Amino acid sequence: MHLEVRLTSDPIPAAWPVPAAARGAGAWIEFRGVVRGEENGQPIAALEYEAYAPMAEREMRRILDELAREHPCLAARVVHRVGLIPVGEAAIYVGVAGRHRAEALALLAAFMDRLKQDVPIWKRRALAAAALAGQPGTRPGGADFQTATARVFNPPTAVAAPEPRPSKVGGTAGGETCAPARAGMVPPAGSTSDRPASADEVRELVRSLCRPLEPERVPLPRALGRVLREPVRAPEDLPPFDRSAVDGFAVRLDDPAEQFQVVDEIRAGDWKPRSLHPGEAVRLATGGALPDDGLQVLLQEDTRLEGDRVMVLRRERARNIRFRGEDARAGGVLVEAGTVLGAGALGLLASAGCAEALVSRVPRAVHLVTGNEIVPPEQAPAPGQIRDSNSALVRGFLASWGVVPVQRRLPEDAAALATALEDPSLAETDLLLISGGASVGRHDFTRRALETAGFVILVSKTTARPGKPLIVAQRGATLAFGLPGNPLAHFVCLHLYVRAALEAWSGPAARNDFTLGTLAADLPAEAHDRETFWPARWQLAGGEVGLMPLHWRSSGDLTALAAANALLRLPAGAGTLGRGSRVEFLRTDLGP
Amino acid sequence: MRILFFAHLRDVTGCAELELACGETDADGLWRQLLVAHPELARFRGSVRLAKNAEYAPPDARFGDADEVALIPPVSGG
Repeated sequence: MHLEVRLTSDPIPAAWPVPAAARGAGAWIEFRGVVRGEENGQPIAALEYEAYAPMAEREMRRILDELAREHPCLAARVVHRVGLIPVGEAAIYVGVAGRHRAEALALLAAFMDRLKQDVPIWKRRALAAAALAGQPGTRPGGADFQTATARVFNPPTAVAAPEPRPSKVGGTAGGETCAPARAGMVPPAGSTSDRPASADEVRELVRSLCRPLEPERVPLPRALGRVLREPVRAPEDLPPFDRSAVDGFAVRLDDPAEQFQVVDEIRAGDWKPRSLHPGEAVRLATGGALPDDGLQVLLQEDTRLEGDRVMVLRRERARNIRFRGEDARAGGVLVEAGTVLGAGALGLLASAGCAEALVSRVPRAVHLVTGNEIVPPEQAPAPGQIRDSNSALVRGFLASWGVVPVQRRLPEDAAALATALEDPSLAETDLLLISGGASVGRHDFTRRALETAGFVILVSKTTARPGKPLIVAQRGATLAFGLPGNPLAHFVCLHLYVRAALEAWSGPAARNDFTLGTLAADLPAEAHDRETFWPARWQLAGGEVGLMPLHWRSSGDLTALAAANALLRLPAGAGTLGRGSRVEFLRTDLGP
Repeated sequence: MRILFFAHLRDVTGCAELELACGETDADGLWRQLLVAHPELARFRGSVRLAKNAEYAPPDARFGDADEVALIPPVSGG
């Protein structure tokens, strides 16, 4: 078979002459894979592809040679584009010439499947539509490529070697080299981790640090609440055959008779194709397969059965048939990539024969609780001690994301925390939560331990309350949060910041944002110079979201939390808000 | 030997390639050395395939200092 295989960074031409080697072919089949306008449910302007060029070309040739033994063809031309590819343009072109169409089509289909398994080409990142519009100067591969909004903190950038040598690797630009020593992450340029960050800044920073985790294939029961990472298509038409929507009698649509001879009975699950002649009827149960085309199902209640004769009492125009392909056509997308899988979606996947779904991996989490005053819940606290409530709070919060953390209680002791942070298993941990005290000393203790263990401190305090002494730090792929010890501060920080990380790791569809609601009661508060997050209970009343602020005195207050299912956002300096005021709130009762 | 990183592994390691002197070794030995230089790669080990001189390496492959070794994370072309 004649092969023409290459990668290119140029647009793929709209029309292309048939290769000379295809002379004598009975079929010349062309396929263009085109960049769609959305990725994971988000509108995009372009996709960036990256390749290991020498291997990609070699692998494509190898696959084509191998497939040609099973599907002998005359010629194939494959061109894969790399770099930035705008929506609507082709990322891949495949042309196959065969003596007959069957082998050419078979080779094309098999090649595309193998390409997606084995050829080292990657969709690198999607360029959001908004980003392109707002930032004309955006470069592919640049640090500002992924998010549209201006960022206070830049994401960590790669460390370049003092003397980068030109990369021999093909593919996209940006083949940075690095020194043999561990590169690690550098502190984000321009960030001063001592400057207090606003809640929005911290959320934006966290989102910029977390990309969707690699997908894994899991059985459907384990996929609930997780983000689907590939579109699932209908393997056949749904329904797969014309079926009756009612119990009744199938007769020919063009047969005006008022009496029919019942010649057969078809129940759901039967398959009895037959030609129906004038004057004949077939008794059908709901879901039963129609025996023929051009039929109508008369409702059982519109007929009277006498022996094997059925009399028509009333005849309407409705055919009472669910036609083949009415729900979905074979090959059509049933569930889009980026969907959070609920019970309904799982049922649909099962009906399409998808027993295992490709979903984002669940993050691995470790939770360390430090403090000398805490005792386990089952133990009676001595004077000066308190029971550990944060372990249960964190575990419950993470459970709605399917995350089961490894939890440990540690004495407030620098050596104990240092040892825990040196644990090699932490290298494989995505999320590290450290619950500590709220005092300045305790906060500094956590911060110092993280720094000593090689974490880069990105945030060390916020302007929000509660949760001012928050720490956000990073080491390799591990994102760490130092949470102030008070339960209310925990609750707020988990829902504001840790949730942002869980969302970003799952995929964009999982995102939950502030929305507007109406206060159902006065919120008497002193004007505070910091943005405040207030626990509340939302409920629907008369078609409106009513928000009942919950009473709390200090950030150690747990009683308010037991009833809370929302956080109100009160701007700095807000003061008392009357019943009926519109306020922003974030639901805290939502999973992904 | 020269180690090449692609896709998100570039973000994780912060580089596109790395020079590693580890003598002749097998895949396990190679990973041990790699994880010393980039412990953050550990969590990707299960999903990454190794390529030697632009071909997927069989499980019993030996790697030497003259080889170009690429870490191939799950691909997504097409």
